Amino acid sequence: MKFGQTFKEALKTEGFPPDWVESAISYSQLKKCINRLTSELAQVGLDPQTLGSLLKKVEDYNKATENDDVESRPFEYLLNDDDSEEEPIDGNDNAANGTTASNGSSKKKRPFHPKLLFYVDEKTGDLHSAGLDEKTKRKLQMFAVQTGLSDIRVHEESPRESIASTDLPSPPINGHISKRRPGYRTVEVPLTSDSEFFSMLASELSGLERLQEREEKRMHDEIANLGMQVAKLTNPDRRANRKLIAVWRQIFQIYLESDIFFGTTESDHSEHDAAKAAERFQLFSQRIAEAGLVEKFKKPENLKALNTFMHINQEILQSLRFGEINQTAMNKILKKFDKQTALDVKATFPKQIAYPDFSTHLAKQVCRTISTDLICTIPQLDDYSCPMCMDLQWRPVRLRCNHVFCIRCLIVMQTNKQHLCPLCREKTVIDACSDNLDIELAAYLKKWFPDEVKAKQKYNELMAGVDEYGEVYKEKCSVM
Amino acid sequence: MALPKRIIKETERLMNEPVPGISAVPHEDNLRYFDVTIDGPSQSPYEGGLFKLELFLPDDYPMTPPKIRFLTKIYHPNIDRLGRICLDVLKSNWSPALQIRTILLSIQALLGAPNPDDPLANDVAQKWKEDQNAAIETARQWTQEHAKP
Ligand SMILES: [Zn+2]
Ligand SMILES: [Zn+2]
Repeated sequence: MKFGQTFKEALKTEGFPPDWVESAISYSQLKKCINRLTSELAQVGLDPQTLGSLLKKVEDYNKATENDDVESRPFEYLLNDDDSEEEPIDGNDNAANGTTASNGSSKKKRPFHPKLLFYVDEKTGDLHSAGLDEKTKRKLQMFAVQTGLSDIRVHEESPRESIASTDLPSPPINGHISKRRPGYRTVEVPLTSDSEFFSMLASELSGLERLQEREEKRMHDEIANLGMQVAKLTNPDRRANRKLIAVWRQIFQIYLESDIFFGTTESDHSEHDAAKAAERFQLFSQRIAEAGLVEKFKKPENLKALNTFMHINQEILQSLRFGEINQTAMNKILKKFDKQTALDVKATFPKQIAYPDFSTHLAKQVCRTISTDLICTIPQLDDYSCPMCMDLQWRPVRLRCNHVFCIRCLIVMQTNKQHLCPLCREKTVIDACSDNLDIELAAYLKKWFPDEVKAKQKYNELMAGVDEYGEVYKEKCSVM
Repeated sequence: MALPKRIIKETERLMNEPVPGISAVPHEDNLRYFDVTIDGPSQSPYEGGLFKLELFLPDDYPMTPPKIRFLTKIYHPNIDRLGRICLDVLKSNWSPALQIRTILLSIQALLGAPNPDDPLANDVAQKWKEDQNAAIETARQWTQEHAKP
């Protein structure tokens, strides 16, 4: 199947909201634009073969001299007249893949004024640099004569770039002489379909960007609401909620472990594409089902909140997918543009306007909101575990260096003459005493991790008994 | 004695999120004893080799570091003939906050960056300093001979 059709099909059948579909890249219309442009070019004798061979000449020349010599170029195709002084775009290699780190979305955009420029001798009307076949040359010459020296299409070069002027003995006496190419005037080939093409593409890209901003805001609000709701449902001050806290905590823990949109392990720390994220999400749903967590929700409010959570994730998935197919559409259409016109626009296009990173940007933002506004409402065990026993840091002892260990591990360290803090190697273990108990943190842990506190308390007592009476204490205890 | 929670957690994570190029599997009958393999790092004379090690967690782990040694013969200035490893974090620089995972990563890094100035296998370190190219070549040969996967 041709890409145009595949794209159309995807937009129609993959359940995207109607306003998204409306904002999608209009691939087939852009394609028509290219066709019109091709015939416009053909009318002045610039079929893709002619332009292509010209371009190759320039490239070969540049390669041979290792020097980007503007002088030798018989023609130039500029997307924006005044952009050569723009600051360098970082990560421009990636710009086309949408993985660029630059803030492509906030870059200011100028309207497109693409120009195809040729250079003719001011006096004779001869074309600068040969390499054109006679027929094309004649056509362009005619064209230059027709447009005349007073015609607006003959451009005075702006004085900003003056490569050639440096080897002129004196500044040009009369203003008609181009500073850039003394003795030559630039002639612009009048084209309209290309402006049309780029304006359309540019406005669609900014439309996609606006859509992204809108969606981001909407999802942000949705998550914040859900966060407040979950916070209410799991308020630890109500004893009745204790079981619920454990269920929600487990859901979020599985969620974090599932690494749906981004990898967080040594072997995978990349952003996931739509296909991989969908696969991960599937796995997550499966684990939730297997753990029998849904059944533990008695109140319908909890179930509803979980459904909202699942729904938000599906929306992120969809936005990833939508971004991907649109980006592919953009890359394909630019490729087509070059193939049919040989104007070599793809090389310069990403510098002009970056694809708005619809997918990864949105996913990143929304995922951050999920963790700050939702998951954080229920503290996770991992954030309160002792670095030594990896169990809950109960009772918490805060060393002078501000690192927290459980009291059991502190005692073990002190009896083993481990004087340095295992994390920062400061000598803070040796002088820790009961003053170092963190009362506030203890109250917090008791409130949020009641079951874990009980279990750890029991373990600590058991181990203290072992310290005093030996291993046999443990056996006695378990019999009792 | 029951297995401390920490060892259970470390083992789980090693199984669920293995470190690239490293595997560590506990023995069924002794969960403190691990069979370890490390892939020779690329761009090193150990590239292409698969190195077997044994790792044991003593009773007072993590107060004391894991005991670990190479089972596969290896030509390296910081590893002796018995497979013992000269690595600061396994000795004086051990900290109870370090884990099996971090230690194995350090050993993998040591294969990639031999340090003949802090030797254990003195003769190898000596050769390494005298003629590094020849020593690297020997290390490569040993890898071909002894560490074939
Ligand atoms: Zn502890
Ligand atoms: Zn510390």
